[in-house]
Amino acid sequence: MGSGVVRRAYDLLLRPEASVIVVSVALVVYFDIANSNFLTTANLQTVSQFVAAPVIIACGEIMLLICREIDLSVGQVFALAPFLMENVNDLGVPEPLAIVAALAVCALIGLVIGLITIGLRVPSFITTLGMLFLITGLTLTISRGYPANTAGGPTLTDIMGAWSYSEIVWALAIVAVMHIVLRHTRWGLHTIAIGGNIVAAGEAGIAINRIKIGNFVLTSTLGGLTGLLEAFRVGSIDPLAGGSNIMFLGVASGVIGGTAIAGGAGTIIGGLVGGIMLGVMQDGFTLQGINAFTFDIIIGAAILIAMIANIHLARMRGGGPR
Amino acid sequence: MSGAKTEAIRAEKLVKSFGNVTALNGVSMAVSRGETLGILGDNGAGKSTLIKILTGYHQPDAGQIFVDGEPVRFGSVDDARAHGIECVYQDLALVNGLSIYHNMFLKRELLWGGPLRLLNHRAMRRRAMEALAEIGVAVSSVDLEVGALSGGQRQAIAVARAVSTDARILLLDEPLAAMGAREARLIIDLIDRLKARGDIAIVMIAHNYAQTLEICDRVILIQHGEVTFESPAGATSAEELLDIVRREYRAARAG
Repeated sequence: MGSGVVRRAYDLLLRPEASVIVVSVALVVYFDIANSNFLTTANLQTVSQFVAAPVIIACGEIMLLICREIDLSVGQVFALAPFLMENVNDLGVPEPLAIVAALAVCALIGLVIGLITIGLRVPSFITTLGMLFLITGLTLTISRGYPANTAGGPTLTDIMGAWSYSEIVWALAIVAVMHIVLRHTRWGLHTIAIGGNIVAAGEAGIAINRIKIGNFVLTSTLGGLTGLLEAFRVGSIDPLAGGSNIMFLGVASGVIGGTAIAGGAGTIIGGLVGGIMLGVMQDGFTLQGINAFTFDIIIGAAILIAMIANIHLARMRGGGPR
Repeated sequence: MSGAKTEAIRAEKLVKSFGNVTALNGVSMAVSRGETLGILGDNGAGKSTLIKILTGYHQPDAGQIFVDGEPVRFGSVDDARAHGIECVYQDLALVNGLSIYHNMFLKRELLWGGPLRLLNHRAMRRRAMEALAEIGVAVSSVDLEVGALSGGQRQAIAVARAVSTDARILLLDEPLAAMGAREARLIIDLIDRLKARGDIAIVMIAHNYAQTLEICDRVILIQHGEVTFESPAGATSAEELLDIVRREYRAARAG
């Protein structure tokens, strides 16, 4: 009985999320000692805003990575969505409906990515690399390269990101839903099975194409939603917002949190924890007043170390190389 | 027909060609419930083609299959499954990163009632344990990832999954390939217990003559797409089978 508890604790510590939580807590302690402004309400609010967007993006990318796909264009959908909303709104459509319409177009983009990838057998890395440039051009054309202001009543803007904590509330709600989808629905189980052994998944009769395309649609939609939330928070729309930077932060959050790039394994909670670690570092080092160039070196090194640690912890868990 | 035993599946004069290569040239075979048939033969003799026709993966050019005495035509793997035919392939079709019970219920998951259709992990766990216990496969926990199991255990899980679908005809493709003596024993005992149940007909493809004769009630030898020898396991020996194959090999070299 006693050894069982020890064993369980040991297993828990070897989980990828656990090591990231330990590092995050250590970082928080360090930043609190180094800077008295770190653990203040105002700063925690800032941290939550750093964390929210990559975490929502990560929820989509984790599903795709698990079934051995990736979406490089999600940051461009992020930038496009607010302009879609504004353009539809300018046609006289009420703002809430314009939001729905913008998300529907984002979903459609995901569907196109999925159909090209599955139907024409183009690796998703290539499909979404093409979409990355295509959507950037589309956004610049629609916006004529100029930023715009968000419209909508105060309640709507508050819900959609203007209230200080609304973005993190959205992020946590999406994390909760996606955790259930991944762990407690057939969709999630089949996504893992496809990434783990696509031949076995096919022989079992799993609808591989449907699930992969569905995860592309999900990722693009979440990318669009994140773009809308950020636009309402900032109060203005920038055609060059998001981009590859937010996409890589999302992917990094997932991978730091234990999602296998080779597919077949990963957790949504891990993505949340990974996103928190990146957000804490981003905010903490900014407070420290570290030079922007040094900052990128630190973030890059931290991502590398976290990923190396994960690969080796996975081996120690007895799962073998993955 | 072998007395009181009921015939489960019978194939008559199956012919199958791929381009101008004749893989099967009039192969006939039959298995009864509670009986284990071993199919022996060299690589390329036509064993795999035969199995793939029985599972509905390939369609024969000529010949007829009967299940429970009724003529059937399998257009797909699902057709064959609907007739109670399950095959455990060499690649085992297991997902390493998933637990034993998830693998056993893949695509046949048990759900909680209600509109959310959430997975009922508890029921799947319990049923998986029951199914494994029923055929005498011991694992410490059904939560273990399949990737952490030995080759024999994985094979046992794959067989248990096939049997738990109410399969009446079980096809095993090289079930003892690349397995140590202790691992092989696990599978041989499992096959014996399934045979003892009396309601399942087992067809297994194998290379190892001695092992096959130990496990099976009856063996057939396929060479160049034809059945060249058939015998109850007790009435032949590995030496006799080897002799037939050797003679054939010499004749082929001389010709």
